[in-house]
Amino acid sequence: MDTSSLSQSNLDLSKLSDYDKRDLQQQIGNEMQKAKIQESIHNLTDICWTKCITGGISSGKMSGKEESCAANCVERFLEANTAVLKHLERMRGEM
Amino acid sequence: MDINRTPPDPKTQIMDQIRQEAALNNARALITKLNGHCFDKCIPSPGTSLSRKEESCLSSCMEKYMGMWNIVSRVYIAQIQKTTGQTGGEGFEGLGV
Repeated sequence: MDTSSLSQSNLDLSKLSDYDKRDLQQQIGNEMQKAKIQESIHNLTDICWTKCITGGISSGKMSGKEESCAANCVERFLEANTAVLKHLERMRGEM
Repeated sequence: MDINRTPPDPKTQIMDQIRQEAALNNARALITKLNGHCFDKCIPSPGTSLSRKEESCLSSCMEKYMGMWNIVSRVYIAQIQKTTGQTGGEGFEGLGV
């Protein structure tokens, strides 16, 4: 990745209009959110791979069983996450 | 890319670069995880070289891991949209690799 291209191209951000600055901020915010989501997907894939792909690799395709395991894995993980947070909240109330 | 064309405005240029770096990070994360998991699955006891069997296992494993990634991505994004009450929009079409 050439990080030099930005400096080479002689970008002058101060020349951007207020509208463009806001727009740029908004777009960067969107990209950051997308990056966060992708990171979560990587983590979930990691977790659910370990849970659902337990045997050896016999083909490049996921079996129907593995597919439904993966879908359940994601949904239950998110539920577990909410349940943990809820419980933490309760614990905090009892302190 | 055509080098001779007039450069795009700075905003587009910055966003292009950010998206490109994001895609690269995403690809790197996928490859790292995939390599780790598939090494585990396919090469339980490393020999002096990769056998043909190990190599074909790696290929299948890669395809499978990406299949897994796609399912997880679809289900996860559906869940997010359900909880935020958001319909359509954004369109995270997954990997740009």
